[in-house]
Amino acid sequence: MTWWQALVAAGAVPANAGRSDEAEPGERADLVEDSELQVHPIPEPQIPNPVSFLNGMQRWSVVAYDGVAQIVSAYVAAAVCRRDKRGVLHATFERSRAFAIAPLDRLSPTLRPVLEQAVPDIEPVDGELVGQPARYLEQVERTVRRARAHLERELAEAATAALGADEWLVLDGLLSRSPAVARHPRALGVIKSHGAQFLDGRGLERALTLPAGHRTSVFAVRGGHTRTEVYSWYLRLWPWEGNNLQYGLLRVEARADRETIARAPALSSWLFAERAPLATPATRWDRLLYPLHHVEEYLKARAPRSPAARSRLPVA
Amino acid sequence: MIDKAIPVPIGRVVATELKPATPHQFHFWTPTDTTIGIGAIVKVGGSGTGEEGRVVYGVVTEGFAYSDLATPLHDVVGAEGDPTRAVEAPTARQQIRYWTAAVLRQTPEEPLQPVPLGQVYVADDADVAQALRMDTYLYSATPTAIPVGLYTSAGRDAPVYLDADFLLGPEAAHLNISGMSGLATKTSAVEFLLASIFAHFPAHKGRVAAVCFNVKGPDLCFLDQPADLSDEDRRRYERLGVPSTPFERVQLYAPLKADGVNLNTLRTHPDLVDDVEPLTWGLQEVVDYAEVLLNRDDIDAKADAFIDFLRDRVLGRTFDDGFGTTHRVQTFADLDRLFRSIFDGLEVISGGRSDTWRTHHIATMRKVRNRLLNISTRCKGLVTDDGPSSDLPWQDFKDRTVYVIDIANVDPLGQDLVFARVVSKLREQLERRELGVDAVVVFVDELNKYAPGDGPDTYVKKMLLDISERGRYLGLVLFGAEQFRSQVHRRVVGNAGTQVFGRMDMDELATPGYQVLTPATKNKLATLPIGELMVRHPHFTQPIFIRFPKPPVLRGRDGVERFPPAADVPFEDAVVRQLVRLDRRVRPNQVKDLIADREPDDVRRALAAVRRIRPDDVLAYFRKVLGARVTPEGALPREHHTVPPLNPISDEPY
Repeated sequence: MTWWQALVAAGAVPANAGRSDEAEPGERADLVEDSELQVHPIPEPQIPNPVSFLNGMQRWSVVAYDGVAQIVSAYVAAAVCRRDKRGVLHATFERSRAFAIAPLDRLSPTLRPVLEQAVPDIEPVDGELVGQPARYLEQVERTVRRARAHLERELAEAATAALGADEWLVLDGLLSRSPAVARHPRALGVIKSHGAQFLDGRGLERALTLPAGHRTSVFAVRGGHTRTEVYSWYLRLWPWEGNNLQYGLLRVEARADRETIARAPALSSWLFAERAPLATPATRWDRLLYPLHHVEEYLKARAPRSPAARSRLPVA
Repeated sequence: MIDKAIPVPIGRVVATELKPATPHQFHFWTPTDTTIGIGAIVKVGGSGTGEEGRVVYGVVTEGFAYSDLATPLHDVVGAEGDPTRAVEAPTARQQIRYWTAAVLRQTPEEPLQPVPLGQVYVADDADVAQALRMDTYLYSATPTAIPVGLYTSAGRDAPVYLDADFLLGPEAAHLNISGMSGLATKTSAVEFLLASIFAHFPAHKGRVAAVCFNVKGPDLCFLDQPADLSDEDRRRYERLGVPSTPFERVQLYAPLKADGVNLNTLRTHPDLVDDVEPLTWGLQEVVDYAEVLLNRDDIDAKADAFIDFLRDRVLGRTFDDGFGTTHRVQTFADLDRLFRSIFDGLEVISGGRSDTWRTHHIATMRKVRNRLLNISTRCKGLVTDDGPSSDLPWQDFKDRTVYVIDIANVDPLGQDLVFARVVSKLREQLERRELGVDAVVVFVDELNKYAPGDGPDTYVKKMLLDISERGRYLGLVLFGAEQFRSQVHRRVVGNAGTQVFGRMDMDELATPGYQVLTPATKNKLATLPIGELMVRHPHFTQPIFIRFPKPPVLRGRDGVERFPPAADVPFEDAVVRQLVRLDRRVRPNQVKDLIADREPDDVRRALAAVRRIRPDDVLAYFRKVLGARVTPEGALPREHHTVPPLNPISDEPY
């Protein structure tokens, strides 16, 4: 028996965990349900129909150098897929953006006009970091992520505006990125990363050790750069024992409204039912809802092939 | 409104490094809700691929469905081990219908290139004609198209045609049909195809007839009686341009029973029996095909030489046996007398010192005697001891006529004899162009019995090989049927230009001959419904599944229910019936008075003579020949046509 097996035998919970989500700033949440954070079992699911799901993707790579300045080709896309009565998903909204990222002020006089003439959509970045390639690429990554978020926000606003009377929209990520979306009565944000902590003490412990098929009390948070208030709660899809504290753990965001508190049990049971089918082979299938995975796969399939591959293959 | 004239793509060709498109095969996907399946014909257009001019036709040979599930375990996990929960998942997994198709045709045909990654369409009627290369013989100035059935996959209803030049010669010929027994597929298919041939055999190719051997029950006994067809069957006949009526001209031949007067067939219902012609042969007809009667151990040069001696020197001639007796051998009875005379002569006159006669050893003579005389006993009714023959109209075959020879109840040896003689005579007459038609389809069921892949080299097998390999030049076309294609002689099967498959047994499909078929095609073959066939034809580069209508004729099983066979009638009544059939004026009582107290053999001889002569006044002629010993037909020296020798069976393929 190993020493950790001895610990488990003595009452510790078995685990199999490595790195966790990167820490992000988070504000203390205000409980809006219960006097202290409680654990609630979820009822039998009632799945609304129809439901639309929104997700996005990004892809970028360095395609050219001007000296040490790295010129990047980037592609971001987002789509909304609507689920019909048979459970089949159909794309209803789709947007994409292919653009270049370059430190225009650091490009040579010969190459800059060529780039500006060839690429109609250029996202300029600060040239100060050109000499530090790793930090420069972090800047590129942030730029691409921001472009993707912008695209997703635009699409979410368009999709919520077009939602049917009983139709719901589930977004991958923060609901609070757009005030309009965050105030919509039938929009939900599903967050898989838990770098930002809104709870502490006993409440945090209860949230992180939430049993599968249970949710926490609802609390209010201000999220996104818009600082829009939304209501949120944690929901465990799969047992964490034997894995890690964040395994199968979702944080749900919905409109900041009393109605959300009343709906939280039903919404939780619905999202719990969405854990099947498994979103494999995605690595975070324990937290990724299959329809959101499907939207991502759809976008990947429609994205232009990677520049690296294109450079070696003839164009059909 | 959707404009239906604009074809809607149903799929798209995909190619990966592992599964690339080649000039002969490609892969495509369709939505999960699709009308196509195994056997469907599709068209690939080059739109969007830079190859707009190229069109490829293919037939679906394999289908796959799979989802994005990485491992079955994930489905178990998702359902928490409860299958009922698996269907409760709110989202349907992304899944694919992925098909493999074999190329039927590419246009342009040169340069032959891999299939472009274009859109896939369901083939319409014109596409089916193009895909199967039927346009060359369907739309030519002298069309030679014979409808064989309807291509009904993917919701279509397109006629499929065979090329008469490749079905009935001279380019290729013969048809072989395999399938499980008891499903009425093989016989039905041949009956329909014969109806189609009679309706569509091109005038410029001359006249055509069919000879069918009925070897099982009443299978082919009611080809002139209409079937109960459904509206759907009638619609299919109309679509194919084939009349949904039974054969207009059918001649049915059946040997007599041992009593020499009742017919040995199941078509003896009073309403139908008059249409059945007796089939009886005498010594001359049998000796010409004596080889059939000899088994493998018998075949030696000595027996052959003695049979040749009998044929050339004895039969039909005045012959001195060397012991003081002159013979004129016309019948089996005459032949028996000759043998007795020879054996007695050797025994008595030579005092047993000699065991040879005219260089022929007594043992050889005894063997030949036994074989020849044995047939008259075993096949009494078909072979007459001393009567004349009643035969097919060898010089007067009629156009679009089916000649059915019912040998279902004949001794196997007699079946072989009938089979060998009829086919040989057809061959002879076609060679001389004296048959009356330019092409004859010979339908032989049970090739597993007559032309097995292993077993002794019988005369019948040699003859079937001969037809298979040389028949197409003569217009002698073999339509063979069997249950196990793998167990039929490979040259008989291999020479059939058109191959048809009904529902097959899985064990049979596991044999090497079916290795070219995909597992999906084999599975479809193993579950084919009645009325559906897979066809291979020289113009089709891949097997095609078709559906044919129920044949327009009464099935044997239904025939005996609607027309129950009559019981054998007494000798006198049978004689009356045969004479009345020839002449309605004949009164039964007159005949019964005439034959009262007469030897049955005399009556049979007289009856045979009447049948042969067919006089204007039947009763008068019958009375005349009954009055004295009836002179057999062969009293006059008969012209003897030697049957050309058959090539021995060898391992040479051609």
